[in-house]
Amino acid sequence: MREKVARPDEVRRWPGDFPVAHRYTPGLAGDAFLTALRDRGAILGSRCERCAYTYVPTRLFCERCFAELDAGVELGPEGTLVSFTIGFVGLEGEPLDRPVTLGLVRLDGADAVLLHHVLDPGDEPLEIGERVAVVLRAPEERTGSILDILGFAVAEAESD
Amino acid sequence: MSGTRVAVVGAGMTRFMRRAQETGKELAWEAARAALDSCELTLADVDAVCLTSAPDAFDGVHMKGEYLSDGAGGFGKPFIRTYVGGGSGVFTAIQGWYTVASGMFDVALLVAEEKMSSTQPHPQGAFLTIFDNILERPLGPNLLWIFALEMNRYMSAYGLDKRDIASVAVKNKRNAAGHPAALLGQADITVDDVLASEVLAWPVQRLDVSPISDGAVAVVVASEEAAKRITDRPVWIEGVGWNLDTTYWTNRDLVYPEYVENAARMAYDMAGVKEPRRQIHVAEPYDPFDYKELHHLEGLLLFEKGKAPEAARDGVLDREGDLPSCPSGGLLGVGNPIAAAGLMKIAELFWQLRGEAGARQVPGTPERGVAQAWGDLMQVGTVVVMGNDGGPPKTAAGLPVVQTPPYTAGGHPLSDGGFRSALGAVDHRLGARYSWDAGVAVGRFLDGLRAGKILGRECRRCERVLVPPRMFCERCFRETDGWIEVEHTGTVQTYSICHVSWDMQPLDPPEMPAVISIDGSDGGFLHMLGEVDPDGVRIGMDVEAVWKPVGERAGSILDIDHFRPRRQS
Repeated sequence: MREKVARPDEVRRWPGDFPVAHRYTPGLAGDAFLTALRDRGAILGSRCERCAYTYVPTRLFCERCFAELDAGVELGPEGTLVSFTIGFVGLEGEPLDRPVTLGLVRLDGADAVLLHHVLDPGDEPLEIGERVAVVLRAPEERTGSILDILGFAVAEAESD
Repeated sequence: MSGTRVAVVGAGMTRFMRRAQETGKELAWEAARAALDSCELTLADVDAVCLTSAPDAFDGVHMKGEYLSDGAGGFGKPFIRTYVGGGSGVFTAIQGWYTVASGMFDVALLVAEEKMSSTQPHPQGAFLTIFDNILERPLGPNLLWIFALEMNRYMSAYGLDKRDIASVAVKNKRNAAGHPAALLGQADITVDDVLASEVLAWPVQRLDVSPISDGAVAVVVASEEAAKRITDRPVWIEGVGWNLDTTYWTNRDLVYPEYVENAARMAYDMAGVKEPRRQIHVAEPYDPFDYKELHHLEGLLLFEKGKAPEAARDGVLDREGDLPSCPSGGLLGVGNPIAAAGLMKIAELFWQLRGEAGARQVPGTPERGVAQAWGDLMQVGTVVVMGNDGGPPKTAAGLPVVQTPPYTAGGHPLSDGGFRSALGAVDHRLGARYSWDAGVAVGRFLDGLRAGKILGRECRRCERVLVPPRMFCERCFRETDGWIEVEHTGTVQTYSICHVSWDMQPLDPPEMPAVISIDGSDGGFLHMLGEVDPDGVRIGMDVEAVWKPVGERAGSILDIDHFRPRRQS
């Protein structure tokens, strides 16, 4: 049954692709989140009182108890860095000109964490537990996208 | 059959919509919450969650099961997604049955979701890779081909009248007119409307086909003990069956769905149903196309082969007929969010057998029903028999309790304009590229084509010559015995005149895909007809391969340019 391959370059292969595209719409909860972000620069979450848990971004329902939720909580703009990574390679494994830093941030008032860029961490090494703040795109440049948030920046230490 | 009895105790669904504003998760939650509300349970009462959804390529979300799990109630629970193509929705009820019958869990939540509207430019494109990447996809297949090819074969074998088949579309769209979740209910549609609709891939016309839809359905199942605690009117899952035919669909006679019969016999045996036509009082066979409902009613042993169309014509399948079929309105009327549409059939039997189907209620006191779905590469049959132990219990006043389902038909339809301009919408093209190995058998087959030969593999035990060739026989599971060169000639087993491309763009002139049975073999393959007027093509016609010039051959199925009517030699 097995046939020995003497010339691997002659193994018959058929190139192909999967030529479908998708258009993703944000849904009911996502629409509320993106509208507030674009129009007010606000980061909204959804609070489930029964489960004592605040989701971010907004959710239509609590996955823990199935209660219907609203987009009634405004979070941040500061938060705590829960974890971070520094990426040196791109999607195809190619080296990046500038490393990319991604952080998981628990915004003040939230239980869930939000993933976004950490902007210009500078020479000081980032530290888990550090205070960070949201940096927004200018109002006129916002489109209703998660990229209306530019990222998080290390918060200025409060002056004594 | 060991294990506890299992009952359906609740059901809910969203509206079926061309486009939903909700995300897939939000649709799943709407349906799941409605199902739990219907039996006054909460998520905390659920011990395990079974989810189904058809190809990831619809939603455009890889690992769709995980993506949908929160909306399905899977948080922190035993959760699994199953998937058998279009058969998925009914299969989820089978999965729910064994999840509970095993004794591991008392209450399981079953959720089926589909959001087809995300796929661009058309959901048909998501089906492209279900065809064989090397032997079929170069021909540019549209999913409609396989339905058109099967329908033509079915019509031809029994000399069926297209009017009789179209009457199924009429029945279902009329039935759906009373359904609060329906997308295409239409009380005044006629057979002439169906026959006047656009020809997509002859004999399939626009109104023979169910619509692309978004939607979700959920069902709650429980063990006997839990069911009796939850409701005084459980509807029992009496029998389940599932079966798969060969993936070499061009090697099958498409006239009759043997895999449906196999699945039905398994379910009937378990349910103790010996005379299906007498013991089944309401049917929800899978109806993505009008002819499929008839095909499936025959596979379910409810009608003799070739006899379901006249039953449709004579009103036997009407809601008030002797065997109501798709009283819900089915996929043709309510809509076809694929996996959700299958589970809708289970929900409909639940409502019908409790006397809760409202405007859709079949007359009398039906005691037993059968739901069935079909899918994968038109090769899987999934069948569930449900019963109410002799009719719905009566209230003290002697009347059945009537509640009009769905309890909620949640969901917000999104217009085409709203979809195009939606705030925050993200467009993404899957950039995945592949290099598929031809493998041993097909690699040699392609070499043969380049040399102007059609090669098969012989299975001496089964006495079959396999075309396309494979190194093992899927029937006896032995290594096949050797290579055989077969003829360049064959007969048209079935064909279609197709007016749309794989992504539903108009084609002029139309294409003529056909399944060619190759002389000297027991198989055949998909190819194109040429040098013949569409009106001149017939099933059974003798044809011959027309090869590309030697210098243009590349070791491809396209080394045969087309098949043409055989010339006298």
